[in-house]
Amino acid sequence: MQKHILEFTNILRRAGVRVSTAEALDAFKALEVLSIDDREVFRNALGATMVKRAADVATFEELFGLYWSGFYDSLREAFDQASAGLPERMDYEALLRQIAELLQDVEGGPEALSDLARAMLAGDLGELESLIRSAAEEAGVGRIENFLQIGFFSRRILERMGAERAEGELRGLTERLRAAGMPDDEAEAMGSLINGLMDAIRKSVRNFTEREIQQRNHDYMEKYRQETLLEKSFYHLTEDEVRKMREVVERLAQKIKNILTIRRRRMKRGKLDLHQTLRRNMSHGGIPFEMVWKHRKKDRPKLVILCDVSSSVANVSRFMLQFCYTLQEAFTKIRSFIFVSDLGEVTHLFKDADINESIERALQGGGVVNVYTRSNFGNAFYVFAQNHLSAVDKKTTVLILGDARNNYNDPKAWCLREIHNRAKDLIWLNPENPNAWGFGDSVMNRYAPFADVAEECRNLRQLSNLIDRLVLS
Amino acid sequence: MFESVESVQRELAKLNYICDARIATVVFLAQRLEKPVLIEGPAGVGKTELAKAAAAATGSQLIRLQCYEGLDEAKALYEWEYSKQLLYTQILKERFSDVMRGAKTVREAAERVGEEDSVFFSENFLVPRPLMNAITADIPTLLLIDEVDKGDPEFEAFLLEVLSDFQVTVPEVGTIRATQRPLVFLTSNNSREMSDALKRRCLHLFIDFPNADLETRILEAKVPEAGKKLSADLVRMMQALRELDLKKTPSISETLDWARALLALNAVELDSDMVARTLNVILKYEGDVRKAEGELEKFLAKPADDRRTDAAAAASARAAAKGAPRQA
Repeated sequence: MQKHILEFTNILRRAGVRVSTAEALDAFKALEVLSIDDREVFRNALGATMVKRAADVATFEELFGLYWSGFYDSLREAFDQASAGLPERMDYEALLRQIAELLQDVEGGPEALSDLARAMLAGDLGELESLIRSAAEEAGVGRIENFLQIGFFSRRILERMGAERAEGELRGLTERLRAAGMPDDEAEAMGSLINGLMDAIRKSVRNFTEREIQQRNHDYMEKYRQETLLEKSFYHLTEDEVRKMREVVERLAQKIKNILTIRRRRMKRGKLDLHQTLRRNMSHGGIPFEMVWKHRKKDRPKLVILCDVSSSVANVSRFMLQFCYTLQEAFTKIRSFIFVSDLGEVTHLFKDADINESIERALQGGGVVNVYTRSNFGNAFYVFAQNHLSAVDKKTTVLILGDARNNYNDPKAWCLREIHNRAKDLIWLNPENPNAWGFGDSVMNRYAPFADVAEECRNLRQLSNLIDRLVLS
Repeated sequence: MFESVESVQRELAKLNYICDARIATVVFLAQRLEKPVLIEGPAGVGKTELAKAAAAATGSQLIRLQCYEGLDEAKALYEWEYSKQLLYTQILKERFSDVMRGAKTVREAAERVGEEDSVFFSENFLVPRPLMNAITADIPTLLLIDEVDKGDPEFEAFLLEVLSDFQVTVPEVGTIRATQRPLVFLTSNNSREMSDALKRRCLHLFIDFPNADLETRILEAKVPEAGKKLSADLVRMMQALRELDLKKTPSISETLDWARALLALNAVELDSDMVARTLNVILKYEGDVRKAEGELEKFLAKPADDRRTDAAAAASARAAAKGAPRQA
């Protein structure tokens, strides 16, 4: 048991669940005071002692199912099928009994057979399971790495178990029994039973190997998927990938939230708060024993986002809006605007509606802009500088998301300069490669001088780097 | 003292706290292994209630420490009672003169006073706060540290020390050890991830929204007046509401509030009018209410049809009953 739990602990660790030695010890202690006959109780005990993050619970459940469940059950299923393959009038139990009786008369008795053959004949599943497990260990099945090796390792386990020898023994036994006067139909039935049993053992071994690789590579596919997703450009996203991306962004936003909280805590001590100090020390006769400090002004980042929702960046802006929305949940002082040719504020929209609805509505213009016009960055900046410049002050970071494809309109870069001069930073994220900036109708080269940071942001990795800078600087 | 997982479940059920085997197992283990339990989960699923029920079931006194930003040792552990010290100094002024009489130098006088200072820094002048109370208690105690995620990380580090050894060192007095280990429950709303060090020392319990069966049982235990029909309707609707993508998903405490609200309005079953009027009991955001209304229309349509056919059947039965004698 102990060995199994340790092995299970290792499997959990490999799947990315952090289980410390102390926690594994707790699991042992827990099992000492509980009866482990009840599978539910057993699972709950392991879960409570080893899994401490809500996010890991699902992984734990899945691996628990793979590891503890059932191999024995599937073994039984396979062997039930084997006996079900007998001709109908044959009673499996009766046949076994008969064989056992006849065996006594054969020279050497049952001891002449190998362990495997005996266990198979007797239908001793517990013995079979331990035979398979020890053979698997000898065969080094722990080194299995991918699905292509299943066949190889299964064969190896069967070899170690001496499956062929067992089959030969059983066939020989049938012959001898027939010679000893077993009726023909019974001998035939025994032959087909042996076929069934051999099938069952092969199937079980294969099943065992498959389980092994599933346990080991539990999150292999998951990791692979996320890695490729991180590198993927926004332009080529299917619906499903957008959903996956959302999960990742939410994690990023959580990270931002955590960092902000830490920053806020660090900011706590400031000037002496005379008022509070006097009040607090009244019980001390007015002698200031306890100091109360004013909370230093919280240096929360202010953020203004301008997001391009024109059709040329449709795929990206969906993502960017999603990013804005999550940011708005994380930051308290934030205002979001969308633009095509016109520009309008969507802060309230993001506040009221949920993420999907917000994005959909923002893509439709959110009731503030017309999305069926051609994008005109110059006009959008002009409108912003005219009507919303008060939203920007020297603590504000302005974040512009767009491709700067201006349809040969007047770029009005001076508007951007005005915004830039008022703001703390101006960050421009452009989905296009810097090599394309300034070519065709792109006016990025005109705008770039007024951006403190102008970067290509095509994928999550670039975005994530940027977020670190934004919050930690 | 619980004997088995089932007995935990039974004892808690007696106190109207209905829980599944998972929760019961953790409570049982907490008691047997003398380990703190970290309970996480959305608001209103009964995290604090569990601690209260466990305290009542084990016959322990409940000491509650509510965490908040800025909570420090002085408020959680102990504080010197300055005014009392001052008062005693005033009263004992003359005794001090006795002590100091005959001292030739200031240094000697200071030394003599110094010998006596342990009088003023003794347990007499200590104001114990919840943690200290829990450690020094001589009756069985359950310490509930509520919303530990609201506290500062520094406080968390300090908690670690207390939770691992159940002892507190007061520099002037010495180390105070727990005479008997209190049962400790920590609750967290996940407003931030707790440190791994803290998690490692605790058993972990994640309480999620209950499934329909469990929720019905909880509702029947807590608001028995609601009756089978109304309870079933409520639970069905709450389960459906949780499927929606709401800003604040209603939890079991909202279900109970709603049941009580409906009872106060003398409702016997849910209809769309009643739901529309009372939806603000369970949903706390305007956007959520609007979204839920749309969904609930669909949801209520089905049972409403049933009722109409029921009513129609009853009406025709009545008509038949009236008509029968006439025919005869």
